[in-house]
Amino acid sequence: MGYKLELENISKVYGDGDSSIKVLDSVSLKVATGELVAIVGPSGSGKSTFLSIAGALLSPTEGRIIIADKEINKLSEKKLNKVRMENIGFIFQSANLIPYLTVKEQLLLISKLAGRQTREDEEKAAVLLKRLGLAHRADQYPEHLSGGEKQRVAIARAWMNNPEIILADEPTASLDSERGRMVVKMIAEEVKLSQKAAIMVTHDKRMLDLCDRVISIEDGQLTELAKEA
Amino acid sequence: MFLALREIRHAKLRYSLIGLIMVLISLLVLFVTGLANGLASDNASAIQNMNADYLVLQKDSDNQISKSELDEKQLLQAKEVAGDDNTEDLGVRMSTVEKIDTDKKVDVTFFAVDPNGFLSPSLIEGKSISKTGKDEVIADAALKQEGLKIGSEIKDQASGKTFMIKGFTEGVSFSHTPVVYVNFNAWKDLQKSIGQEQSSVTAIALKGTDKTIKAVEKEMKGVNVLTTKEALQGIPGYSQEQSSLMMMIVFLFLISAIVLAVFFYVITLQKINQFGVLKAIGAKTSYLSANIVSQVAVLTIVSLIISISITYGLSQIMPDSMPFVLTPEVIAICSLLFIIVSLGGAALSLYRVAKVDAIDAIGRAV
Ligand SMILES: Nc1ncnc2c1ncn2[C@@H]1O[C@H](COP(=O)(O)OP(=O)(O)O)[C@@H](O)[C@H]1O
Ligand SMILES: [Mg+2]
Repeated sequence: MGYKLELENISKVYGDGDSSIKVLDSVSLKVATGELVAIVGPSGSGKSTFLSIAGALLSPTEGRIIIADKEINKLSEKKLNKVRMENIGFIFQSANLIPYLTVKEQLLLISKLAGRQTREDEEKAAVLLKRLGLAHRADQYPEHLSGGEKQRVAIARAWMNNPEIILADEPTASLDSERGRMVVKMIAEEVKLSQKAAIMVTHDKRMLDLCDRVISIEDGQLTELAKEA
Repeated sequence: MFLALREIRHAKLRYSLIGLIMVLISLLVLFVTGLANGLASDNASAIQNMNADYLVLQKDSDNQISKSELDEKQLLQAKEVAGDDNTEDLGVRMSTVEKIDTDKKVDVTFFAVDPNGFLSPSLIEGKSISKTGKDEVIADAALKQEGLKIGSEIKDQASGKTFMIKGFTEGVSFSHTPVVYVNFNAWKDLQKSIGQEQSSVTAIALKGTDKTIKAVEKEMKGVNVLTTKEALQGIPGYSQEQSSLMMMIVFLFLISAIVLAVFFYVITLQKINQFGVLKAIGAKTSYLSANIVSQVAVLTIVSLIISISITYGLSQIMPDSMPFVLTPEVIAICSLLFIIVSLGGAALSLYRVAKVDAIDAIGRAV
């Protein structure tokens, strides 16, 4: 109990027949409330695949996925979409903001997509932007933001729906290490503050001290690394 | 709608350029359509606007009004079958008249009608002709441009007969010539002068239901019953003009369909990544499709409003001699077709959007 996300015996095979590759081989992971878990591993080891499965974007070949105490493997595409919208916030490698929306609109779009648009959403967006130091940027377009600012908008956007879990795929890849650290720090703080959970794929060893656990992925297996003091 | 409008607002230049192309294409469509209609009415408004449903022509006339000839027996038979009130004799003779005291010649078409019958033209000026007077006419207002007025006299070249203009009507032409209305007394003189049977006429105009028409078709020998619309095809030059213009219009629509489809498709391809992100953050295909459709619809409607205004402006400054007619109905039909064509063009893009997977937004090693 107290787990936001449980993955049990997940396997993923790409392709079929001779050309098939097993990227994940019966791996399991539980993420508790308030935890920020880092996933590390060489390129092509299956980090993004693992994250996509955890985020219900990709269905595993085998295994069970439980998000916020709900088993989602057998859900229809439409219901999965709803689960994603209500429970999961994504932060992508490059911020992937919509170029023609202002910073504020990027956040409001999320509540629009969920079919509501209230005063509360506006207030919530304002609070999030303020917390991430973006209040003065609210009416600007992404093209006028620095890389770090864009990534922070992406974080704010991911929090907009009040998701249980944040999934971030190399969120710091396009940032210098100082800004990268700031971004990760913000994710960690939000997770603690709002009692949520997060998984972050990262290449950057210098970020690991900000995470609660570090999991390495290699040859289809997960290994928990001991945290350095 | 939200995304659609934001995007147009943000990328004004790009969308103005697309809009400009759409304005130009739809302008061309409207213009050629107006010209086709203008030519049609310049050619044949006397038949188009005729206050009758059907025309009875001679069977051997190839459905061409100018070749048709009906004799007295057929006239009486038609009246008997369809009823006196529903039938009206019509004489048609293409000719050339001379404005008296000058050498100026004008091609006209004489229409012989009963001045009290339902084919009698409505006047915009002057008086109607009598049923018996042999030398009175009502002329199409186009003849005013030749310097003719009420009281002017014209001389028919073929018969040498002289007529006085009693009144003017408007919007009546036949084979691109203005129509001059005479009564049947004058018609007989015209017939006699060129050695034709005096009592024969060109056609019989009918009003009535399908039933009367069926009866006429069954009872009368040696005739064809055509709707006035069908009879238009038998006016010299009419179908040739209309079919070439129609072809242009069809091709314009085809070209716009292809150009717009390619445009929208390229724009959509450029945004495939964005659609992936939008799907990952919860947008459904239906939501994205609705946005694309509404974006195309907004662009099309704005472009149409602009091009309709331009067309209207152009038609105001065009010289009267240029045949150009665009009724609100025709504009509405053209606009509707254009909207359908551009939405059809967007359909290809919708297919692409449906295929985008949210997972594309996550960076993969591949
Ligand atoms: N859709 C796919 N079809 C086939 N192979 C794939 C697909 N996606 C990823 N792979 C393969 O799976 C492996 C893991 O990919 P990925 O999860 O993107 O790795 P990482 O994010 O750790 O770099 C790679 O070898 C990649 O080539
Ligand atoms: Mg990856």
